Amino acid sequence: MPLTRRTAISAALPLAAGIAAAEAPARAQQPAPFTSRPIFGAKQWRLANGLRVVLAESHRAPVVAHYVFYGAGSGEDPQGIGGVAHFMEHMMFKGSGNVPSGDFSRLVARQGGQDNAFTSRDVTAYYQHVESSRLALVMRMEADRMAGPLFNPAEFEAERSVVIEERRQVVESQPRSKFREAFDAAMWGRQHWRGRPIIGWEEEIRAISREDMLAFFSARYAPGNATLVVAGDVEEARLRELAEQTYGLIPARAFTPRNRGEIPIAPAMPRIEQTSPVTREASFSRAIAAPSATWGETRHAWPLEVLAHVLGGGTGSRLHRALVESGIAVAAGAGYDSDVAGASIFSVSATLRAPNTREALEQIVEAELRRLVQDGVTEAEVARSIRQTTAGAMLALDGLGAAPRMLGGALAIGLPMEDVEHWPEKLRAVTTEQVNEAARAVLVNPLTTAGWLLPA
Amino acid sequence: MIPNATSTAGLPPRAPFRLPIRIIQEGGITAWLVEDQSVPVVSLEWSWNGGGALDAPGQEGRMGLGFAMLTEGAGELNHLAFTDAARDAGISLQFGAGRDTASGSLRALSESLPEAVRLARLAMTAPRLDAPDLDRVRARAIVGTRQALETPRGAANRAFWAAAFPGHPAGRAATPESLAALPREALLEGLSGQLRRDGLQVAAAGAISEAELRALLREMFGTLPAGAPAPLPSLPPMADFAPVVAHKAAPQSSVMFGQDGPLPADPQWEAMQVALRILGGSGFSSRLMRRVREERGLTYGIGAGLDVVFGRAVILGQASTDNARVAEMLALLREIWAGMAADGPTAEELAEAVDFLNGTLPLQFADSRRIAGGLLGLMQNGRSPAWLEGRPARLSALTVADVAAAARRLATAPLRVVVAGQPVGL
Repeated sequence: MPLTRRTAISAALPLAAGIAAAEAPARAQQPAPFTSRPIFGAKQWRLANGLRVVLAESHRAPVVAHYVFYGAGSGEDPQGIGGVAHFMEHMMFKGSGNVPSGDFSRLVARQGGQDNAFTSRDVTAYYQHVESSRLALVMRMEADRMAGPLFNPAEFEAERSVVIEERRQVVESQPRSKFREAFDAAMWGRQHWRGRPIIGWEEEIRAISREDMLAFFSARYAPGNATLVVAGDVEEARLRELAEQTYGLIPARAFTPRNRGEIPIAPAMPRIEQTSPVTREASFSRAIAAPSATWGETRHAWPLEVLAHVLGGGTGSRLHRALVESGIAVAAGAGYDSDVAGASIFSVSATLRAPNTREALEQIVEAELRRLVQDGVTEAEVARSIRQTTAGAMLALDGLGAAPRMLGGALAIGLPMEDVEHWPEKLRAVTTEQVNEAARAVLVNPLTTAGWLLPA
Repeated sequence: MIPNATSTAGLPPRAPFRLPIRIIQEGGITAWLVEDQSVPVVSLEWSWNGGGALDAPGQEGRMGLGFAMLTEGAGELNHLAFTDAARDAGISLQFGAGRDTASGSLRALSESLPEAVRLARLAMTAPRLDAPDLDRVRARAIVGTRQALETPRGAANRAFWAAAFPGHPAGRAATPESLAALPREALLEGLSGQLRRDGLQVAAAGAISEAELRALLREMFGTLPAGAPAPLPSLPPMADFAPVVAHKAAPQSSVMFGQDGPLPADPQWEAMQVALRILGGSGFSSRLMRRVREERGLTYGIGAGLDVVFGRAVILGQASTDNARVAEMLALLREIWAGMAADGPTAEELAEAVDFLNGTLPLQFADSRRIAGGLLGLMQNGRSPAWLEGRPARLSALTVADVAAAARRLATAPLRVVVAGQPVGL
């Protein structure tokens, strides 16, 4: 009984999802051509109005995925009206110049297709999966709302209620989501672009006006700030033609590029504790501000992916041995996502196993982090992590949504397509020394917060 | 701005949906296969009747915990060696037990398929259940059970099944106490009753030929003991109960609602599917979504559909709303439900629903994992490949009167309702 949602998701696909071909090519000299085959073999070009078009052709089944990514997410929400990017995503279904309110989804369904949208901190994306002969229809309708949505005033308040119900369902009724929200605010500050919830604080959702939304649209939703990705059963010549006939009719316009601004040098709160009347387990979180593939010392980005796997990538990782196999915690892990706009985080989390003490768990986490900085990781650990992270990379070909999500997500934050097409090769080039250098540089960052969610 | 944005006039007619399913019999095992060599990936899904249905009262969670242990070490491989073998080769191998089935799932690149098959066979024939691993996985399962009840939605789900099927395995679920009390011997006994060569249903899709699948079936399942798992008890009619309120500290209540549904062999099965698609199907165009979400802003999502358990469908729906507006939403839900039962669909609604259900078939079978999962679902409901092939024509032949007749069954029993949260005025 799947309920369809227009969801606010924070993590789009991190590149690291699987494994790959057995070759381990020696890294050639500097602007080295890639020795691996690209995963999707995608092509890209631009229309005269600036819209970037990407095609990942696959004629396996008579279906296509059609995605439009805007280079604006909740991180672009103006001060005081956090949540406008996400609320607007909802209102984009309420009609545009030549598409009456509600007809978009109704017509897609009538053709047997599926449509939805999502907002992350970095992007807002709209997508449809349809039989390939229906591609022209969804391109016309999506282009029509890129040209100008109505944000119908008569439907504005009911949709605001829907967003508030969404917030109650996905944040306030879930103790761990609620804690995660408070944690981010504690670390970065309630009004920092990284400390605000994607869906927005309730009082700010209530403050958003239609004029605010029109202003956000006008500043961010220009063709030049968008990436169209089509994957599946369509030939390049046909897509070029369809793109010109639809999106190509939209005039170029100026837009406000992403500008995330500074990050704080110290956390708003170095420590946070929250209690919940419905939770029974104590869980620990620690996050440390980190560079990403787009921000700061970007050379640490790939090594940090490896470091996170060595420390907390499931069974066999350091935290799994030190906390889970020792019986101190029920679960433990580490995470890092390089593919974000602006600063990222390196994070650790663990769920305490009774009757151990919080102090015992936290001491072990701190000791493991210290050990990484002082002694580094071993060659064997790095080789294992790279092998396990890349082994299933080609599984991404077995599904319609993987190509557009990975390609669109990366391009919309300014990464080159090769970071997706050749990510296993890039990850395999990471050395032990690079991982250790990243650990020494990042794990001691003073912008860090630790926190506990506790049973009441 | 874009001329004729919504026009469907120039679209070519849709190609007829075809899925070349082959039925393979090998060593007493039946498997369905859709071969597709275009991408070097193979997916396999398999299941038996059983799962939680075979757990005695007081031993709830036995099969779930037993199946979770299958990938925690087998044969010569301890849990770490087993996990590394799978992850080193990018293999996804999972086992699980539901209310009435136990199942396995495998996906791998072609080059890793032999290793995947070796690990799957080891897991099913020589699971270790080493004491430290059982202790660790049991602790995780106990926490999982508690966390499932943290949210109003989880609490509503638990309370609904308990109220709807009291005294039946469908109404029972694992608790921290039942999981804590399960001895290792009980898990082994459960596994040996479940992991059998008979009663097994297998679906395969992707880059695998018929000959390769035959060899795989022999290697993976051939050494399982003969004799099917114990038969499932039949599902009694849903108990009649007044709305149940499960108190849960939260700003929003979760509502779960349901009724008895048809048998998969019922001649009105597809007419009922169409009626429920119109009433509460996925997407944004159902009556429930339009009237409860789009017009009133009462909920983020509301839907209803058929869920087959113990060989019979139940109609189940779910929605969440502000504690203060639960009564208002329930009144609206009952009105929309009764309206569908009384008046049936309009001709336009019927055409839209049939177009969707037919048009969505190519998307439901677009990759190897979805194909294998879809095939296994068909097998579990006792369908044949011909049933799938004939479905578009049967759906297209349905009339407004056919669907209205099926929809009238929605009024033959009261809608059972469970609310979890802090609802006002119930």
